[in-house]
Amino acid sequence: MAEQSSTGAIYFAILGIVTTAFGLADILVTAGGGEFSYGILEIPGDLFRGGWGGVIVLFAGLFYLSGIRNFGDIHQFAKVVMGSILIWIMAGCDIFAMITESIPSWEEEAGPWFNTLPGFLGTYAPPYSPAVLLLPFSLVVIYYIRKRASGESRGGNSS
Amino acid sequence: MTLGVEERWDLIDKISKATITFGKYRHTLKDAIGELTVKPMTGIPVAIAILYGFWSVFGSFAGFFTDGFFVRLFDAYWLPWLQEIFPGQGGWLYAIMVDAGGIESGEFVLSSNCLESFGVLTSGLFVAIGIVLPAIVIFYLMLALLEDIGYMPRLAVLIDTMLHKIGLHGYAIVPTILSLGCNVPGVTATRILETKKQRFIMMTLLAIFIPCGAQIGIMQDVVPDLMGWILLYLIIGYFIFGYILNKIVPGKAPEFLIDVPPYRRPMLSNIGKKVWGRIAGFFKVAIPFVLLGCAIVGGLYQLGVIQWLGNVLAPVFVGWFGVPAETAGPLIAAFLRKDLAVAQLSVIDMTPYQMVTAVVLVSIYFPCVATFAMMLKEGWKELLGALATLVVVVFVYGGLIHLIGILLGVA
Repeated sequence: MAEQSSTGAIYFAILGIVTTAFGLADILVTAGGGEFSYGILEIPGDLFRGGWGGVIVLFAGLFYLSGIRNFGDIHQFAKVVMGSILIWIMAGCDIFAMITESIPSWEEEAGPWFNTLPGFLGTYAPPYSPAVLLLPFSLVVIYYIRKRASGESRGGNSS
Repeated sequence: MTLGVEERWDLIDKISKATITFGKYRHTLKDAIGELTVKPMTGIPVAIAILYGFWSVFGSFAGFFTDGFFVRLFDAYWLPWLQEIFPGQGGWLYAIMVDAGGIESGEFVLSSNCLESFGVLTSGLFVAIGIVLPAIVIFYLMLALLEDIGYMPRLAVLIDTMLHKIGLHGYAIVPTILSLGCNVPGVTATRILETKKQRFIMMTLLAIFIPCGAQIGIMQDVVPDLMGWILLYLIIGYFIFGYILNKIVPGKAPEFLIDVPPYRRPMLSNIGKKVWGRIAGFFKVAIPFVLLGCAIVGGLYQLGVIQWLGNVLAPVFVGWFGVPAETAGPLIAAFLRKDLAVAQLSVIDMTPYQMVTAVVLVSIYFPCVATFAMMLKEGWKELLGALATLVVVVFVYGGLIHLIGILLGVA
């Protein structure tokens, strides 16, 4: 259990550093007034997604970092879970925006009402926002939640 | 058989020992997360994230239906069809019901979209169904989710200290958020506040600074880039004038006690019932008012009343508020329908700052007729007090926004 705790703490420490860096990058790019794109990563430059969203990604990183010390404690672990929840909110919003964008054709006068198949699929192609890229890594917390739940059901200490 | 006091207590002890199992309380992950969302240090970041999610989903959903389908349905099919089949083109009934149009080189010209036509069956239906309905559906869906998960009481606890500065307490978040859907249930919900002072402050702030779903929906559609600034001005005004009202309105602002329930998985049937009930209320109250408001505004335009008032008041709008003279008409029409007024403003040539000022003025200007009627039900003294506050706020805050624009060099 202790070994798992330290593995978890190291994993979320690294994730926390990366998330915090992404959050800061979001804010700096927005403050600079432009957009940044590199490979599959795209940092939005608008005040809503880049600015407000960047602050939330930064908070997520800070939640991870503040939760890694004494990772086995339920209150500390809750901070790590909260960091992941913030990432899920951000990424969920980005993915929902992609879905709503991909379905209509956005034609104003004539033409089909719905998007073409290549257009539909193209909406889901990279680049992605930092939160979407962080999403799969944040899901690891579910493993630890399940692990903790099974430990509790066997009568382990949850404090 | 009658038992004495000691015997009764003994009996209670025996029953409780036989029926109750005592164990050590274990703090679960749900409890720990619940605590995190109430403590300011961790709760405020979570509240910021939830508001972001609320807003982002609202924009995506409303944009999907309005810009993705309804704009085309109404502008490319419904409007041309009605323009063609409705009799009496150029007449007053045609102008009120279908298209007020415009005059170019002495000839009557039809409008090209539903935001410019101002007819009951075109602009009225487009605003009510095409813009407001998707906004209201997603707003109430998200609100019901937050309520049923158990987040709203935590938000009330979190914001309690801040709301005490303006004479309210955490519960005031309920009418405030409800008003973002429709001001009418928001005004009704002020009854959960204990004192007259609190109810008056809340009702006044709702009527002035909280834009309803109809208005937010149309702002999202016609001035999406300026939404942040408009809402920022409204939030700042909410707290500044709340603080002032708290200082000058006599009465008490008591503390509140709230039972914070644990987080729960929301039940689909509950969510469905809540959303449906609220949307049905919107259909009954708001849609008739949108259509009636559209007809009255159209009628007043046809009679030249709004143009006349606009000309008379134009110096105030231009000199004091710093907006173009053409905005006088929509700002006066805002008395009947704020959402239609925003639509009218969107087709006037203005600088972004003038647009922000004009839309903020529409928001803080007179409450819509439905809200007005609901405030009257709460008491005519409160209504008169709220209206007097409103007049002062419109002039002071409108002038202040203009002054900020001048100082920043953008007005």
